[in-house]
Amino acid sequence: RAGGAAPESERVTKMSIMSYNGAAIIAMCGKECVAIASDLRFGINQQQTTAVDMKKIYKIHDHLYVGLSGLATDQATLAQRFKFRHNMYELRESRKMRPETFANLVSTVLYEKRFGPYYAEPIVAGLDATNGYKPFITGMDLIGAMAPTDNFVVCGNNEESLFGVCESMYKPDLEPEELFEVIAQCILAGVNRDCLSGWGGVVHVISKDKVITRTLKGRMD
Amino acid sequence: MARRYDSHTTTFSPEGRLYQVEYAIEAISHAGAAVGLRTNEGVVLAAEKKILSKLLETSVASEKMCKLDDHVAVAVAGINSDANLLINSARLFAQRYAAGYSEPVPIEQLVHHLCDQKQGYTQFGGLRPFGVSFLFAGWDKSSGFQLYQSDPSGNYAGWTATAIGANNQAAQAILKSEYAPSMSLNAARKLALKVLKQTMDSTILMPEKVEMCEVARAHEVPSEKHIRFRMASDKELEELCGLANSATLPTS
Repeated sequence: RAGGAAPESERVTKMSIMSYNGAAIIAMCGKECVAIASDLRFGINQQQTTAVDMKKIYKIHDHLYVGLSGLATDQATLAQRFKFRHNMYELRESRKMRPETFANLVSTVLYEKRFGPYYAEPIVAGLDATNGYKPFITGMDLIGAMAPTDNFVVCGNNEESLFGVCESMYKPDLEPEELFEVIAQCILAGVNRDCLSGWGGVVHVISKDKVITRTLKGRMD
Repeated sequence: MARRYDSHTTTFSPEGRLYQVEYAIEAISHAGAAVGLRTNEGVVLAAEKKILSKLLETSVASEKMCKLDDHVAVAVAGINSDANLLINSARLFAQRYAAGYSEPVPIEQLVHHLCDQKQGYTQFGGLRPFGVSFLFAGWDKSSGFQLYQSDPSGNYAGWTATAIGANNQAAQAILKSEYAPSMSLNAARKLALKVLKQTMDSTILMPEKVEMCEVARAHEVPSEKHIRFRMASDKELEELCGLANSATLPTS
């Protein structure tokens, strides 16, 4: 074609529904502890930042947390469903769910909607009280494919960036305070290259006898 | 004559009675007693265990008491298998409410839902009614601490103190004279066991024969987070039974 700009129809970009709201979540294993961190941004239609205190990590019980990225309405709804299921489990079985069991539940709940999924990708992080409080983390895609590991998992809009910082900064067997430093630096650095996540962060470090939650001050842009 | 109308639960007799419902209530009058008392600090439920044997595994689940959600519990009198079905239904209702409204279910809503289910079995389907009476103990933000009683007909009422199961009339009589709404939770616990001692067959109250639970404030501030369900420990029961055995009831 001779000169001139492409017609408008060719310039329209396709947006992924997973990028509509924006999120970044990391979980890491340490020595007898796990940490899970997320950003706090909530945007609408990508451009407009609407809140800087958006909850993306939910407590299921003292040794089990789940973080959800993706479409905000789906992640909030899923968090409610998981709380429901865990409450029923605890009432019927008179015990709390092991992280691995819960991860399988999450996987099943997502796969039930295989052909019309929830647009959310979860990360499960916890300590297995039935097995010496062994750390457990796993990430999953939106239809429930689990990827358990003993180092770290990431999810969100800018996974490549998050993977990059984690790969370079992570070390195995870190103590809780060291793990906090590493995961906090990773989440803050990782979201800097992503316009859809950031605006502060929150970190939970889960150990056998306590959970330390800290809010991070990052670049507010 | 009346026997012709007995077999169908969903039919009235000529005298205007539902015999199956009455027979269900009769079945419960042979079950282990349960008593409930409401105070400003919490609601206490105490019950007599009927199934006693050294061979019985004392599992985590209790015979008479059940937690429905963090802020509400029941004591059961009647057929346990019937109760289990209703308890499961109640738990699901409570969770669905919480998932939808992000708020714990108000106690009356829960009781009402369960009673509607019980009523259904007296009007539809030709199935027998549930042979269970419940005592619900709970707290919600709008009405504070509450105690409800329900029976197989699906009727329910709110009470300050009441009893179900064997010898419940005797229990009610004692409660009428000794219960005061301003009682402390501790006084209510003692009175609950005192009442049970009178309604049970034995002269001495054995801690292995009773169960007790409460829905009460964990701390001074009555917020939702600090309301919790708690089963009485063995040590606590021993202590309270000892007190009940040494105390004498005032002569009426």
